[in-house]
This record gives sequence, structure tokens and C-alpha cells, in this order.
Amino acid sequence: MSVAEIRDQYDITAGSSNLRRRRRTEKAVSAVAILSALFAVMLLALVLGTVLFKGISQIDMDFFTKPAALFGEKGGIADALIGSALIVAMATILAVPIAILVAIYIAEYAGPKAASFFRVMLDVLNGVPAIIVGIFIYGMLVVGHGQSSVYGAMALAILMIPMVARATQEILELVPRHLREASLALGMPRWRTVYSIVLPTAIGGILTGVVIAVARVAGETAPLLFTSSITQNQISFDVHNALPTLPIRIFTLSESPSPDDQAAAWAAALVLIAFVLVMNIVAKTIAGRKRKSLEGG
Amino acid sequence: MSTVTPDPLAPAPIDRQGIRFGDVLFKGVALVAAIGVAAVLGSIAYKVFALAWPAIQEFGLSFIWTQGWNPNANVYGALVFIYGTVVTSVIALLLATPLSIAIALFLTEIAPGRVAAPIATMVELLAAIPSVVLGLWGILVFGPCVASHLEPFLNTWFGFLPIFSGDPSQAGVLPAALVLTIMIIPITSAICRELFSRVPRDLSDGSLALGSTRWEAIRRVAIPYAAPGISAAVLLGLGRAFGEAIAVTQVIGAGNTINQSLFPPGDTLGSRIASSYIGASSAIEAQSLLYLGAILLVISLVTNVSAQLIVNRFQKARRVSAG
Amino acid sequence: MKRALGLMVIVASLVAVAVVVGAATAAPAKNQDTSMTGAGSTFVFPLVSKWIPALGAAYGYNVSYSPIGSGGGIAAITAKTVDFGATDAPLSQDQFAACKGCVEVPWALSATAVMYNLPGLKCVLRLNGKLLADIYLGNITTWNDPRIVQNNGTCGLLDLKITPVYRSDNSGTTYNFTDYLASVSPTWKSKLGVGVNAQWPAGLGAKGSSGISGVLSKTPGAIGYADVAYALKNKIRFASMQNASGKYATPGLRGIQAAAATLPNKITSDGALSIVNPAKGNPLAYPISTFTYVVVSSGSSKAAELRKMVFWAVTQGQSYGKPLLFQPLPKQVQAFAYKQIKKI
Repeated sequence: MSVAEIRDQYDITAGSSNLRRRRRTEKAVSAVAILSALFAVMLLALVLGTVLFKGISQIDMDFFTKPAALFGEKGGIADALIGSALIVAMATILAVPIAILVAIYIAEYAGPKAASFFRVMLDVLNGVPAIIVGIFIYGMLVVGHGQSSVYGAMALAILMIPMVARATQEILELVPRHLREASLALGMPRWRTVYSIVLPTAIGGILTGVVIAVARVAGETAPLLFTSSITQNQISFDVHNALPTLPIRIFTLSESPSPDDQAAAWAAALVLIAFVLVMNIVAKTIAGRKRKSLEGG
Repeated sequence: MSTVTPDPLAPAPIDRQGIRFGDVLFKGVALVAAIGVAAVLGSIAYKVFALAWPAIQEFGLSFIWTQGWNPNANVYGALVFIYGTVVTSVIALLLATPLSIAIALFLTEIAPGRVAAPIATMVELLAAIPSVVLGLWGILVFGPCVASHLEPFLNTWFGFLPIFSGDPSQAGVLPAALVLTIMIIPITSAICRELFSRVPRDLSDGSLALGSTRWEAIRRVAIPYAAPGISAAVLLGLGRAFGEAIAVTQVIGAGNTINQSLFPPGDTLGSRIASSYIGASSAIEAQSLLYLGAILLVISLVTNVSAQLIVNRFQKARRVSAG
Repeated sequence: MKRALGLMVIVASLVAVAVVVGAATAAPAKNQDTSMTGAGSTFVFPLVSKWIPALGAAYGYNVSYSPIGSGGGIAAITAKTVDFGATDAPLSQDQFAACKGCVEVPWALSATAVMYNLPGLKCVLRLNGKLLADIYLGNITTWNDPRIVQNNGTCGLLDLKITPVYRSDNSGTTYNFTDYLASVSPTWKSKLGVGVNAQWPAGLGAKGSSGISGVLSKTPGAIGYADVAYALKNKIRFASMQNASGKYATPGLRGIQAAAATLPNKITSDGALSIVNPAKGNPLAYPISTFTYVVVSSGSSKAAELRKMVFWAVTQGQSYGKPLLFQPLPKQVQAFAYKQIKKI
């Protein structure tokens, strides 16, 4: 019997209007909660469904292999795909080593005050709006040197660092103390402990953090608006110049009146969302598997 | 340290000097990285203010409450954008917070485990939608829908309220606020879910044992327990809403005036920077736009740091009472 | 084994970081000499799009162009982010000073169409400057306002709200439009002035000429302004504007040509190229016509190619313009252009 049933058996006021009213409130609140969750799911389905439905018709081999079109013609997103891939890759290469080092310092070496300072610093950096980061890189580098996809990658790296560092730091703190203590007791230097024992144990969580950060940053538009928006709309691998990117392409196409452009925008959005969703699923799978091994180990 | 008998399993003896050097090097590199990142944060704040400085000097603090933005007459003022930022974000918050708490309650109290996990994932995926895609959806689908259905409905039934007066418009403060709501929900509901799942079982069990319904247990125990965390979640959502520029600029319509009604176009700090900075036609215009950026940075930082402080004090109080 | 692997990963990532940082700080290796980037006016984008493949065929030039608005074009060429900038708004003295050693050459001529979305309208809308200014000032709010019906009696104007649409980004088309409004409405001139943007009191904003066309096609009752090529491409109807002679003119080649005919026979400076609201005595002239300019940095490493490109644009390039309603440059403007090109 459930708690409620037991209670009813011995409750002399069972059936009184007060209890009925409270029960009704309970049911109403449950209903509200269920409806809210359904509402959120419906929103997701609505947006994803619209993108899928409107974008799928545009997707063909041409779309993936042709660069952008000039005024009045149909084109593809090949140039934007390559640009996005290169910029996100560069951003990841820049951000991940730095973020891991920062997390190692906070988790392994810093005293309580320093750790707290750097942790707050990371959270504050995480809260800086993406557009401000874009303006920062613009003011520091683009002015006088021109736009470049490397600058875009730097801006995205600044956005990635707090995310990866926080995930790494949390997972490092989860690594059992006895692993470190055993290693130190065996005479291994501190840095070897971290490098050979702690990091490999934490690699799953770190990878999860990286994948999530990549997914988040692949869709960022504002920093690229200032660093990689004036582009040759041709397929190019030259990272010195500004390269076209998926988010900027979607942003530009979204305002056009031409049905061709709008269809291209939906299709590009579909590709971007598919990438982001796949990354999120990959991250969850890694996290799930690693958690099992940490708990089982 | 020398052992009396050589232990075959011990690692080869390492020179003490070697230990120190490796450790110092590694720690040093990690420290340099940490300081470097802190320096980047500092430079961001410095650079934004430095670039805006000529405008700050020229207009002073009165920039914040000046309503005009007329480049042709060299009149610049932030009030319209501050108003837009605050209104869109606060509306988004008012709509998203109860929804997020309800969703969190559903996931922690009502849904069985097998149902909760996929639904939680789906709510998180809402956060994964890039803002430019939400903006695209806003321009082509949501905005027209708001203009042809939602706004006439609000106008018919609630038109006596000034915020719902006037003619419907595809682009305006209301669609922007609603898009921001969609963006905030996953953030606040994820934090609330964390909070509710951490409420100590014995507290809510005690309440149930005393005869409360589940909702009363939640209302009287879980929510007050989690209240500081909820307020931190609200502040974090607010910070996210303040900083969103792209989706907002796509659906807000670049208005220049402060209206009582939510239907006409308006503009926010981030959105105006996104639409005008690249093409700024004079130095003072660029600097004034950066002054807007400085204001945005300040309110973002204040909201985020407040959320941090609340979380810290909350955790300290918990530790004191538990310890 | 594991240690070796780990070491390799570390070395590889350090090398990668070094490469990326080195790429960033090293002098940007400019691509082949025949490659040129430009940015700016959305007004001239339809014509430039036709020029790009033609330039590739004629000289092997790899030209690319980003239509980010005239304001963006001026900013980009000032910051030397691009090889050439395009703007419909002539550079001001301050902008010339900031853009050290910049040369401005008129390279195309067209008109700003006043587009509207009035489904079921039985005739072409007729407007004059005063009405247009009042609409954008927010003084006239519905299409069946008597002031509009006065000129469009038989068209079937409905009680539909007017939504004026303007450019949210800094635009040379806005400059042309506000130039016209200021010349016909003293209220506009004093309250809002002429510029690449304005403190628009009514309506909503969209980015780019394509943005305005986009909003227009979705909003019944909307009115907006953009280069006439956008109206043609998106099949949006545009109004006949009453000129100073009292006649209604359309932004066709004839109307543009008549407006340009008001120029003096010899051009000495950029300021003389304004052809907005031509005086009485030009019955065919469309009053919102404008030249559009390319801005190039003199003495750049690509000066020779840029000279060739601009020269081609103002000579052979003009023949591509007619289907897009770009009127070929009048002789005196071409002569002026040649003079400017020599300065590059």
C-alpha cells in the first residue's frame, strides 16, 4: 500500500472537504507540471520539425558541393561547410590544451583561495556575451590587419575555454583520491601522477566537455560577424582570409525575400542542427559509458 | 629516501632534482595558462572600455538616460536599447521561470525514471539549437504567426492593457521576448532540476509523514530549500537573455522608439551593436556603439557575479548548518 | 609505449598551436595577384554580380564581393580589410580623411524604387515626395488616407495600416532616400536629416536591400525602398513618383537618364554628382536616382589590377546594366571617372 493509502486508512478526516481540496490542488499542480514538460518538448519538435520539413527538399549533392551563388542564382553551402570546419577545428586546437591546463591548475595545484579565484574567473568569462568577445577580437586584431578566419577561431576559442575547463575541472575532482595518493606513495612525481594516472581516468569527461563545447561554438554567429564575414564566396582552404561559415551564411540568407534563398537557409540550418545534435548524442554516450566505468572501477 | 632492501616492484629511483624540476615546470605551465585566461578576461573588459572611451568622455553618464539615437545629428543615447534589453529579458524571465520550475518538478517528482531521462534530454536539446537557427525560424515562421494570430488575440481580449495595444507587427518586442523565453527555459530548468534532486530526502519524507500532499511538500519544503538556487538560476537565465544579440536582431525590427505596447519594433543593446557596428560611418558612431557594448558588459557581469555570490553564500550556509 | 604515445600527442598539439599562432601573427600571405575582394553597397550588388564572371573571363580576375551595405563598405576600405569598397553615399570630408589616400569613382547609375505590398491594387501607386515623407514620419498611417486617395482615386485603396520599412544597417540607399526626402520636406530635413541611417520614427527595420524586399513581400500594407533591380527580381511593385515638373515618373531607364541629364557638362568634384529631385523642366526625370561609387585605396599593391577593373566597369561593364535598370554612365561622368582612375 502506498503512503497515501495508509494515511487514508488511519486519517479520521479522510473524505473531508479540506483534504479533497488539497488533493485537487495536488492533481492540478501535477497537470501543470506535465503540461509544461510537454510544452517544452512540443517547442523542440516544432522548431526541429520546421527545419527538417523545410530544409530537406533542398538537400542534394549539389547543395553540398557548390559554393554560394551570386545575385539571383541557386547555390550550395560547400564553401561555408569547409570554412566552418576549419574555423571550429582551429578553435578546438587552441582552446582544449589551454583549458585542460587551467583545470589542472585549479584542481591539482592551486590553494583554496587561488582555486576559488580562478573558478570564479572561468564562470565570469563564461558569462561574457559572445558579441562582446567578437568586438574584443575585432578591436585587437581585425582593425589594421583585416578579417581572418584565424581571428574567428580565436574568438570561438575564448568562448570554448570556460566550458571545457569547467567540465575538465569537475571530472578531475571526481577522480578518486586514492589513485593519486597511491601514485604519490609509490614515489611518482606530482606531474607524472596527473599526466599518467589522473588525466587518462578523466579523459571521458574531458572529451564530453570538448564535444559539447564544439557543438555550442559551431553555431555561434556573433563573434564571426566581426572576424570572418566579408568573404570570397568560393571554396577556399586559405585560413589567412576570412572564410564563409554556416552560421553567417544562415544569418545572411535568413533576411532574403527570394524563396530560393530561404530554402537554402532552411537546408543549411538543417545541416547545422544535425551536426549539433549528433555531437550532443556523442557526448551523452561518452559520458554514460565513462560514468559506468568510474562507478564500476 | 633509501630503502633497506631493494624492492623489485618499486619504480626506478628518481633523482630528487628531477622531481622538483618536472613538477615546477608542469605547475608553472598550468599556472601560466590560468593567468593567461584571466588576463584575456581582463583585456576584454579593458579593451571594450578603451574603445568606447572617447564616447564616454563626450557624453558622460547622461548617455544612459538619453533617448535619441540620431547619427545625422550626432545625438547618441542608450535609453531605447536599455529599455529594450530589460523589457525583452524580463518578460522572457517571467514566462520561463514558472515553466522551468514546473518542468523541473515534473522531471524530479512526477515522471518515472524511464520517462524522465528522454524528456530531460529533449529539454537540454532546446539549448543546443543555435541562436541563428531560432532567429531564422523566428523571421520566417514564428514572427508572421505572432502577427497574424497571437497579437490580434491579445489585442482583442487584453487590448485595454497598454502593453497589448496597437497594431500587430511581425517584428517587434513581443516576438523577441518569446524567442528569448525559448532560449532561457533549458538553462533555468536544468539548474532547477539539479536543485530539486538535491533536496534531502528526509526533509520531504518528513513532511509527507506529517500528512502533507506531495505538492505541499514541494511548496513548503523543496522550493524554500532550493530558493537561493532558483534565484541564481533566474539570474543566470537573465544574463543569457541580456547577451543574446543574433536571434533578437533577426526578429525585433530595429526600432528607435520606446513604446508602451509590446507589438511595435524596438531594439536591444546587443542587437543594435550586431546590426550597426560593422557599417558605422563615423568614429563617434562606432565609439557610441561600443559604449552600448560597455553597458551590456557591465550588466552581464553584474548579473553573473550576483548569481555566483548567491550560490556561494547558499553553499556556505548549507555547509555550516550541515557540519 | 603509452608514454611515447602520450608524448607524441603533446608534441603534436604544441606544434598545432604553434602553427595556428604563427599563421595568425605572420604577415598574411596574400593570395594570387589576380584576386580582389570588395564589400559594400547592396544597391549595386545585382550589377557587380554580373561583372564578376565577366571580369574572370576577360582578365582572369578572381573578384568577390560581399553586400554588407555602403556603411560597411566604407568602413572596410578604411580599415583596408578589402581591396575595394562600394557605396552609394559619397564619402564625406571626414571619411576621406580617415580613409587615407582613397579615390572615389562613380561606376554605375540607377534609381531607388519605392516598393509597396498592396495586393489587389488596381493600378500603379502614385506618390509624391511630401506624402512619402509624411508616411515615413508616421503622420499618415493608413492607405486610404484622403491625402493618398487624392492621387489614386480609382485604385481601390483599402483601410490597411501602412508599415514603412527602412534599412536598419548603414546604407547608401538610405542616403539617397533621405537626400530626396530632405529636399521635398523641410520637416524631414530639420528633424531627421540626410545620412546613411536615420532615427526612423515609424515602421520597422531590415538589414540590406534583400532584407527590405523580404519584409515587404511578407507584410501586406508595407512600403519600402531599395534599388529597382530588387523590385524587379522579387516581382514587387513600385510606385510612380511625382517629380518637380508635376509629372509621374517611374525608375526605368528613361527616367534615370532624364535625371542624369541635369548634370553640368563638366564634372569637377564628387559633390556635383547629386541628381536627386531634379528641378522643374525635366518632365521625365525620376526624382530618386543616384550614382554609386567604388572606393579604392591609391598606391595599393594591386593598383594596376584595380585600375583595369574599374576602367572595365565604367566602359564595357555598363552594357550589362540595362536589363537590371542600370543606365549607362553619361559621357561627362565617364570622363570624370577616367580622371579619377588615373589617381589610383
